[in-house]
Amino acid sequence: MSRLEISRFQVVKASMGLTARNFFVDPQWIIPSIIAPFVFTMVSLFIFSREAGQTSAVLLAAVLGGGMMGMWGTTVYGSGESIGFDRWNGTLECTLSAPSPLIWIIMGRVLWNTMEGSLNGVFILVIGLLWFRVGIGIANMPMFVLSTMVTFLSLSAFGMLLANLIVLSRRGGFITNGIEIPVYIATGTMFPIVALPLYIQGISYALGPTWGIDAIRRSAIAGYNSGLHVSIYFDLLMTVMATILYMALSGYLFVQVEKIAKRNGTLGDY
Amino acid sequence: MPEKCLETVDLRREYLNRSFFGKVKSRTVALQGLSISVNKGELYGIIGPNGAGKTTTIKILSTLLLPTSGTAMVLGMDVTKDLYRIRKRIGIVFGGERGLYNRVSGLQNLLYFSDLYGVPASVSRKRVPELIEMVGLSGRENERVEKYSRGMKQRLHIARALVHDPELLFLDEPTIGLDPAGSRNIRQIIKSLKQSGKSIILTTHYMFEADELCDRIAVVSKGNLVALDRPSGLKKQVKDITLVEIKVFGDPENLIERMKAESKVSRVFSEDLEGRTTIRIQTPEAPEVLEAARRTASEYGIKVIEASIKEPTLEDAYLRMVEE
Repeated sequence: MSRLEISRFQVVKASMGLTARNFFVDPQWIIPSIIAPFVFTMVSLFIFSREAGQTSAVLLAAVLGGGMMGMWGTTVYGSGESIGFDRWNGTLECTLSAPSPLIWIIMGRVLWNTMEGSLNGVFILVIGLLWFRVGIGIANMPMFVLSTMVTFLSLSAFGMLLANLIVLSRRGGFITNGIEIPVYIATGTMFPIVALPLYIQGISYALGPTWGIDAIRRSAIAGYNSGLHVSIYFDLLMTVMATILYMALSGYLFVQVEKIAKRNGTLGDY
Repeated sequence: MPEKCLETVDLRREYLNRSFFGKVKSRTVALQGLSISVNKGELYGIIGPNGAGKTTTIKILSTLLLPTSGTAMVLGMDVTKDLYRIRKRIGIVFGGERGLYNRVSGLQNLLYFSDLYGVPASVSRKRVPELIEMVGLSGRENERVEKYSRGMKQRLHIARALVHDPELLFLDEPTIGLDPAGSRNIRQIIKSLKQSGKSIILTTHYMFEADELCDRIAVVSKGNLVALDRPSGLKKQVKDITLVEIKVFGDPENLIERMKAESKVSRVFSEDLEGRTTIRIQTPEAPEVLEAARRTASEYGIKVIEASIKEPTLEDAYLRMVEE
């Protein structure tokens, strides 16, 4: 049996499938994954609609931000918790005892979570558009689709980075839960990052989704200006670069984190 | 010279108990230089009390834990370097309810792990139903695991460990918490796995189980190997003692205390089961002690259901070894 060849596609697909099954059979996941970001977005939209006087462009920017919040909320919760779920179930050790590198298994989970988050994002978007009667006109549809896909990948890669923390220790869950709201703010989903203090802007620029969100808005809203003074191509380039960096870092960290967890004997903790 | 499938030399493992900020609060030594070797096709038992280092040994050998020092070779490969190559050829069964995806079916658990082991779909489509049949879960494979009894979950654990047809199996207390029928069922499966040529490392708390199944048994205590032999060899080490076994109804406390005070008695153990108490007395003078026990029981009005002199069991050998 030593000739068993591990297929990356087989592992990613199996991992996605299992995550999806677990999601559908456990409705309580819907609360942090869908309902919470939805409520948060709706509250934000009400505030925007009053303050901005229902200017179509501003509301569309807010709705798009709301969609991103939905995507991010699901990604951060799902990615972190899918490994936390393994710890709690006692399956982390069984999973690690398989010869598939952990990064492929986590990639499958994160891909599912991001996909589910994207559906959540679309759901929020549609409700927001209908509720606030914002015009659906997307200025540059091909760029909008491209920006959304690149941002989707960027979120997945970011989710994988976070999953490392949970593999390392059960305490990693505190961090992934704790950064959900700060990342909403730092990536400019609701408020332009130029409005943030300079030192937080530094963090914002290091986050791939910041550039992705900017690209989405620029492609959707004609004449949109986030204050970043860059072109949409630069946004996309930064998103892609950040995604590659996160993926590479994740690949390296998963190997290191597994070693540390095995040295510390924390894989079986729950 | 039999071919070895596993060998450890001076295996040592320390656990550091750290505070939230990483400061080392205390150290626990789980293994203090364990050296064992297992032959291909052998069913090798590791027995010992809680905290003896059994599970730590299994986790190191199955690449889930790094040793602090020493070496461990599994199927000729180093557990700290050849992780993925080793994992393809070994299977691990952890005892207890955890370790399965409870909200999906048993079948889905097995197919998922088949994929993680890189088993081609054409092979798993054939092998998984065979495994389900082998562990007696046919007809229940599409139910969610959370609906399974503990015994069913344990059998599913075994099937999971076999999805990639490993050469070497680690069974860490596979019958823990099971009822007698469930335990017997698992023991039958283990026997059939041995017959199929697999090498098996089994840890257990149950002496009769080790006695019945294992070719050789390593007794570990406080992270050290204290004895290694065939079950019959281990029992020979306590040939100097015999056992008086009495089964009684009623409160046995006075009888136990009186027997402990007898000069010719070396140890007294008791076990309660459904209102009856079985008292086992280790002594070199069994007939005399048996009479004394009958008399004492009568004095205290304790009803003796059965009284006999028995040969020492593996449990008696084990208790002497771990207590010395």
